[in-house]
Amino acid sequence: MTTLPARLRITTFFFLLLFSISGLTTAQIRTAIDLHSLGPQVGERVPGFRLPDQNGRIQTLESIMGPNGAMLLFHRSADW
Amino acid sequence: MELQDRIEELTAAGIGIAAISYDSEKILAAFAERRGITFPLLSDDDSAVIKDYGILNTVVAEGLGPNANDPEVVADVHRYVAAAVFDSPQLRRRINGTPFPGTFMLDGNGQVTSRFFEEFYRERASTATVMLKSGIGISPIEAIQGTTAQLKFTAYPSDTIVTNGKRFSLVVEVEPGPNMHLYAPGAEAMGYRVVGFNMAASEFVDYEAVEFPESEIYHFEPLDEFVPAYQAPFTLLQEAVINASAEIEEQLEDIDVITLSGSLDYQACDDAICYLPVSVPVSFTLEFQQLDYERSN
Repeated sequence: MTTLPARLRITTFFFLLLFSISGLTTAQIRTAIDLHSLGPQVGERVPGFRLPDQNGRIQTLESIMGPNGAMLLFHRSADW
Repeated sequence: MELQDRIEELTAAGIGIAAISYDSEKILAAFAERRGITFPLLSDDDSAVIKDYGILNTVVAEGLGPNANDPEVVADVHRYVAAAVFDSPQLRRRINGTPFPGTFMLDGNGQVTSRFFEEFYRERASTATVMLKSGIGISPIEAIQGTTAQLKFTAYPSDTIVTNGKRFSLVVEVEPGPNMHLYAPGAEAMGYRVVGFNMAASEFVDYEAVEFPESEIYHFEPLDEFVPAYQAPFTLLQEAVINASAEIEEQLEDIDVITLSGSLDYQACDDAICYLPVSVPVSFTLEFQQLDYERSN
């Protein structure tokens, strides 16, 4: 495969950069949220944590874990 | 909180439980007391863990930012954020730092075995339906039990109490009789009636996908046909959701009970003959509870 002459390569690069910048300002490169791809996927290990509970006790992934696993629920708020 | 109602079953199955939100310990303590919550409610008050898990809801910020008029942003705002929240400056601030709500089922090593996240902000899978879909059984309440010439079945709803937007399941546990084979998905191509619920349309309930377990290929010798069928006991889940739209929410304000009627339909063969399709009437009565909008002080 032949390579482009240096000057043409640099020019091409600048044009591509220009187009990608204008793309950012006109908001055309955003992809819609794909909820199923966010966060740990099936088979992946979840991040650990260290958080206080409603009784002020510190809990970790290990401390809440049961002998056969755990159900970890993320919700918006208990308050609204 | 219906998760609290399931604690005994989850604990009996050896499954630990915790809920994470950005609420302060004080708010969580008040909520736990008001609702009698005994499992850990964890306070992630700077949303660090929510961000670490990669599930921070970024949609509101986008909906207010420079790309607010991008049709994809608008669509995501409608899907993931309540209009009442988005339109209120006060509530909009509150949603900053919240996650996309969902549930991870983990094994003993902290690996995800299944995950449940809702596409539409108003809908939420019930704990029971999450358990059923994760293979953790629940104790049926208000089950219908029946016996026909071809099978025995137990049918029940995953939840007997529902609220707006609640996603639940209708469950049927089927035990085919001796030498009986029930037609499974794929058999409709050969003109057979596949087993499943046939529920009457309801203004309050939307029926969704049916979860079928794997079937076997059965060789029906009299016709030399190879057909997908169930021979061993199996369980079907018919997913349903209480309609969460604003118009139905208004109608539901006067409702205490939702009755779902329909039938369990199937067709079966034994080794010699194929029986006509059968339709067994079923009916489920669910208690409807209004959404709890109570706030702590």
